[in-house]
Amino acid sequence: MNINTNLKAENTYDAIVVGSGISGGWAAKELTEKGLRVLMLERGENIEHIKDYDTAMKNPWEFQHAGRLTEEQKSTHPVQKRDYPFQEANAKWWVNDLECPYTEDKRFDWYRGFHVGGKSLMWGRQSYRFGQANFEDDAKDGYGSDWPIRYDDLAPWYDYAEQFAGISGSKENWPLCPDGNFLPPMDLNIVEKTVKKRIEEKYNRERIMMIGRVANLTVPHKGRGNCQYRDLCSRGCPFGAYFSTQSATLPAAVATNKLTLRPYSIVNHIIYDKDTKKAKGVMVIDAQTQQTMEFYARIIFVNGSTLGSTFILLNSTSEAHPNGLGNGSGQLGHNLMDHHFKCGASGDATGFEDKYTYGRRANGIYIPRYQNIGHDKRDYLRGFGYQGGASRENWQDDVAELSFGSGLKEKMTSPGKWTIGLGGFGEMLPYYENKVYINHSKKDKWGQPVLAIDCEYKENEKKMRIDMMNDAAEMLESSGMKNVKTFDNECYPGMAIHEMGTARMGKDPKTSVLNKWNQMHEVSNVFVTDGSCMPSIACQNPSLTFMALTARACDYAVSEMKNNNL
Amino acid sequence: MKRRDALKNVALLLGGAISATTMGVLFKSCTNPQESGEQINFSPEDRKLLADFADIVIPATKDSAGAKLAGLGEFIPMMITDCYPEKERSAFYKGMQEFRQKAISDYKKDFSAMTVEEKNHYVGSIREMVILQSTNSTDGLSPLKTFFILGRDLTLIGYFSSEIGCTQARAYVQVPGRYDGSAVLKPGQKSWAT
Repeated sequence: MNINTNLKAENTYDAIVVGSGISGGWAAKELTEKGLRVLMLERGENIEHIKDYDTAMKNPWEFQHAGRLTEEQKSTHPVQKRDYPFQEANAKWWVNDLECPYTEDKRFDWYRGFHVGGKSLMWGRQSYRFGQANFEDDAKDGYGSDWPIRYDDLAPWYDYAEQFAGISGSKENWPLCPDGNFLPPMDLNIVEKTVKKRIEEKYNRERIMMIGRVANLTVPHKGRGNCQYRDLCSRGCPFGAYFSTQSATLPAAVATNKLTLRPYSIVNHIIYDKDTKKAKGVMVIDAQTQQTMEFYARIIFVNGSTLGSTFILLNSTSEAHPNGLGNGSGQLGHNLMDHHFKCGASGDATGFEDKYTYGRRANGIYIPRYQNIGHDKRDYLRGFGYQGGASRENWQDDVAELSFGSGLKEKMTSPGKWTIGLGGFGEMLPYYENKVYINHSKKDKWGQPVLAIDCEYKENEKKMRIDMMNDAAEMLESSGMKNVKTFDNECYPGMAIHEMGTARMGKDPKTSVLNKWNQMHEVSNVFVTDGSCMPSIACQNPSLTFMALTARACDYAVSEMKNNNL
Repeated sequence: MKRRDALKNVALLLGGAISATTMGVLFKSCTNPQESGEQINFSPEDRKLLADFADIVIPATKDSAGAKLAGLGEFIPMMITDCYPEKERSAFYKGMQEFRQKAISDYKKDFSAMTVEEKNHYVGSIREMVILQSTNSTDGLSPLKTFFILGRDLTLIGYFSSEIGCTQARAYVQVPGRYDGSAVLKPGQKSWAT
């Protein structure tokens, strides 16, 4: 064997971070700030903050297709086009599905963005803590494996993450959705304020409604500008007003002079050293040249997104780990979860015709989970929260059928009616049989095998959806909304882009992949801190939890290195 | 759902919103790309006809220019070519030819040469035919009806995303800088362009 020792030295770092999205960016920041020389590997292209947000300042008329997709885009993005996030204005953030296919035993919509920043550039920015009960549910009802940590373990790290990221929101004293370190909240509009008051009165504050807690700055924060209320976040923010790798964690990591960022680096597998029983590095395929190369480090953080990370681990086989790295438990790839949503109710608000909005608020309302708490008992486990909001419509529905002419134009250019919608976001239970595995019969553009996904909602989720509609209708009706209608627009796993699980944390190495520090039970220098680590998913948007878990794991990893345990 | 409710919902959809076909193709992307088929070349005469048709759907009014000046004569064929599946594309094109021919046989002149009253009357007569179908999808509709539905949809989409539509017909603020959720609606306030 030919070993180029110089090359080996050049390609050796203290830590490798695989992935540059929300959790990868945090890992790079924390590890470099603690003095480690870090290589961050990103499979896609580089995106420079502001400079590469091509469409951020474009006016509506500067888009060729009025924001819509072409037949050509639909043919290269057959999965990404299944739902609304992929649009003309942000098309470059979404993967060409033909280059990186996967197979679906059952329909699963896998939305991906391969570029520096990952989904931190396109995320919904809703940021909620998990509550104490969320960490106890698995133990209580027996689904999934018990969380190896409790709320108190994570609370200081939530504080830390919020303080740096900049989360705006209001304090509500709601244990299932604990208060945090917030910037001033955005405003509710007149209809939302009214509905909030009526709901909280009617339900005796056993249900509450608040403005969304969102990673958009309401005041300047750590050198970043505040939100300008354009509601164009998914194009990238030229003011740096929402948290992304580019606006927040990457500049912090770069400032240490200890970060090397390598785009176009697809991590194919983690290299296992059977003598040390540790990982010694990663094998990378250069996405542009197809060349393979190796990089080495003392510790490896895997932050390639839930299914991206799990693919790498499953693909890292060796004599000692024939079924994937650290998979002695057989749980790797299993317990895939996503929130289920796209159902709820909407109605019209009357009596506010003299009011309108100014500015475009990239945020809505939030009703945190109130089911299966205290006296509230349901015929399913766990529960759901609501997101939604009120707005004054632009396109009136009282114009005559298929009308045309100046009358139609008049209608379309004057403010329409106020409407309000509540959409549920429900917890999905962890089921062992909802899984991903490697499908060797198909290859991606780089010759790698692909992931197969076999995942479905079950009875608990289906029952919950009925309440997600009925409770919303009941709350809207009791708040005086008119024309209340329920909806269920059909949801498939993956659509919430909150896919989690598949490399869960747990106390017992026999039933889990990671320990309470997000460290692999079986390979002590490998940490996984993206969504794959989650033993259960609550019903809150999860990214803030990934940030807190990542910062916590980095702190532990570095202290273990200093104590020579790693 | 009771039948009456169902009918009411269809009526609502037929009203302000655009057709189910365009919703599917442009907003939900739920169609799958089909075989590309023959591409259509819209001639300068076709573009003029489409601009004149669009100008009847959204005419100039006292404070804002109409669809023709907003460039709909170029926008509609571009969208039909780039964004619609083969089936809708060819039905639209065929319907456009029928629209042109029917004007000549009914009014003894080109659509473009007709007076505004004649144009309104003519387009209105086609609208009546479409409404009788009680559907807001172009599936199974004749090419002429498909032309009317898609041409009207694209006029609305194109006009309200054009500079004229955003800044003259509606009110546009590029960088609002703040949010006020209880602003007083002033007389004459246009709806916001987004």
